[in-house]
Amino acid sequence: MSSQRERSRVLQATRKTGELILEYFSKAWDAKAQGKPIAWITVFTPVELLRALDIYPIAPEHFGAMCSARGVALGYFEEAEKKGYSQNLCSYSRCGLGYALSGMSGLMPPPDLLVTFRNSCDVYVKWWQSLHMHLGTPLFVGEAPYVLTLEDLDNYVLDYVVKQLEQLVKIVEEKFRLRFDMERFVNIIKLSDRASELWLETLKLRRSRPCPLGGRDSASDIFPLVIMQGTEEAIRFYEELLEEVKKKVAKAEGIIENEKFRLLFDGIWLWHAFDLIKYFEDRGAVFVYEPYSEAWAHRLDASKPLESLARKVLAMGLNVDIDLRIERFLESIKEFQIDGAVLFSNRSCKSWSAPQLVTADILSKKFNIPHLLFEADMADPRQYAEDQIKNRIDAFLEVLGET
Amino acid sequence: MYVGIDSGASATKTVIINKNGEIVSYAIVPSGINFKLSSEEALRKALESSRLNLKDISYAVSTGYGRALVNAKYVSSEITCVSRGIHKLFPSVRTIIDVGGQDSKAVRIDENGRVLDFVMNDKCAAGTGRFLEVMSSILGKPIEELSRLHFKSSKPIKISSTCTVFAESEVISHISQGSEIEDAIAGLHEAIAERIYNMSSRIGFEKDLAFTGGVAKNQGFVDALSKKIGVAPTLPEEPQIICAFGAGLAAIKKHKENV
Repeated sequence: MSSQRERSRVLQATRKTGELILEYFSKAWDAKAQGKPIAWITVFTPVELLRALDIYPIAPEHFGAMCSARGVALGYFEEAEKKGYSQNLCSYSRCGLGYALSGMSGLMPPPDLLVTFRNSCDVYVKWWQSLHMHLGTPLFVGEAPYVLTLEDLDNYVLDYVVKQLEQLVKIVEEKFRLRFDMERFVNIIKLSDRASELWLETLKLRRSRPCPLGGRDSASDIFPLVIMQGTEEAIRFYEELLEEVKKKVAKAEGIIENEKFRLLFDGIWLWHAFDLIKYFEDRGAVFVYEPYSEAWAHRLDASKPLESLARKVLAMGLNVDIDLRIERFLESIKEFQIDGAVLFSNRSCKSWSAPQLVTADILSKKFNIPHLLFEADMADPRQYAEDQIKNRIDAFLEVLGET
Repeated sequence: MYVGIDSGASATKTVIINKNGEIVSYAIVPSGINFKLSSEEALRKALESSRLNLKDISYAVSTGYGRALVNAKYVSSEITCVSRGIHKLFPSVRTIIDVGGQDSKAVRIDENGRVLDFVMNDKCAAGTGRFLEVMSSILGKPIEELSRLHFKSSKPIKISSTCTVFAESEVISHISQGSEIEDAIAGLHEAIAERIYNMSSRIGFEKDLAFTGGVAKNQGFVDALSKKIGVAPTLPEEPQIICAFGAGLAAIKKHKENV
């Protein structure tokens, strides 16, 4: 078993993410002690704005992923399930609610403010309402209409989101007697843009053969981009990462030896089953592209800070039309020279998994690219049948080997 | 001689073949909880019935759930094995529907037996042999009886739930309301046929179409699935050993590569 549980190959920079994450959460407790308001946010909330207001954002979704990866999520799931939350609900939400219902003395300090945006996810609003109901913490729900065409990023839809960001600022200023500092905000926007730029440049280098950065890296390295946007630490992290990846490319060094298959992974990673990545890698298969890794990378324009941030809120994650998402997905096949696709149908995230059958169909009919579709849950290990999934992976890799 | 071992979730199958790929003998035993032991027993039985010894075997390939746990020089996936096996026996087959103890799968192959596409059931066991095992024990009818009773049915009950647990209570409720056991059995066959049909539709039903796996020994199920798809299937004489046979063919190939 020990070799099975061995970690997959990772970059030096990636090894630092564990510490970075813990530090981020522990600083939240420091902030709390200093009387700074703590906001619990959903991951597609504009952290840049909160940071400019001197509010410390933390994301229960991260907490869910962390707990799952460390094998401690089950207790929180059970806590939520005992209170009547169904096992069919999103596992992040069950973990977060379980934590909120059991005293909140772990990684996350209790919230002073709950902020979510109705973008990407069907569960967010109800989840945040439940937290509000249990904890009595003030709640802000923003709404980003579903982006049907790219024009929505410039028309009245954009104005609608801008107005809500302004409203959020006003509410927070009044509630916590804080002052929104425009100069500080512009600087944060610049920092956030720089981090996205660095990350996107790094991802592009995965076009190289062999691929210098694997699935385990991309899954971990995304953390600062989600929650630490607008900080110098995030920039330092991505600079270091890019440097390391560039060096690997120059030396033609892959994240795995003997790269045989280049794969696309669609979905949220299985935090409790990271060794699956290694299972692929041990068989010469490396992940070179995931839509997930691009979900938070958005360039921002510091000359129009609020508009630019509103555009990000609209275009983040799953808030854009399925056709546009599939288009990007298919572009990547050529861009990253992908041999096969692994589609993870996530019991917790139907917004993500819904188009997978359509994509699978296009992959085989239009691109003649084999795919593997399997069902499990991103954070709940009870929904995971390891042998069954490995059985399918073996078959999939054999098919790839024959083509 | 060569041997293919299919260490399945429910049964372990071994097939001994000669260098021309012809079946010499085979054995099927329950897998139980110790895959290694059951594979050894299956091999011993196959050797006995062909009066061969272990030293006559040049190469072994394993497949199935316990593939990594049994004694073999090489492991191969069930998808490749079932395709190889069927292609050797019926070269005109392009689609295989295999229903085993814990998995059901549909595979599309080309004229050389190469896998083009495949689908497998999701985590749920409702479309597999396990479903029928559970139901047969509830109805108190051995699994071998299901086929005979199926053909006695005049009006199969309609089972709306595809979940094994819910289907169980549905069947019980039908029986308590006076439905005949044979109608319940035919209804169950139709329910899993429908589930497998839906799953397999993703890769299509290009002819010829073969059914394999332990559940294909149940003529009642074969009847329900053929009607649902609307195609008369090719059925191997012993559908349960095709995967093991394919593993045996892989053993010939591997042996040649290694010599």
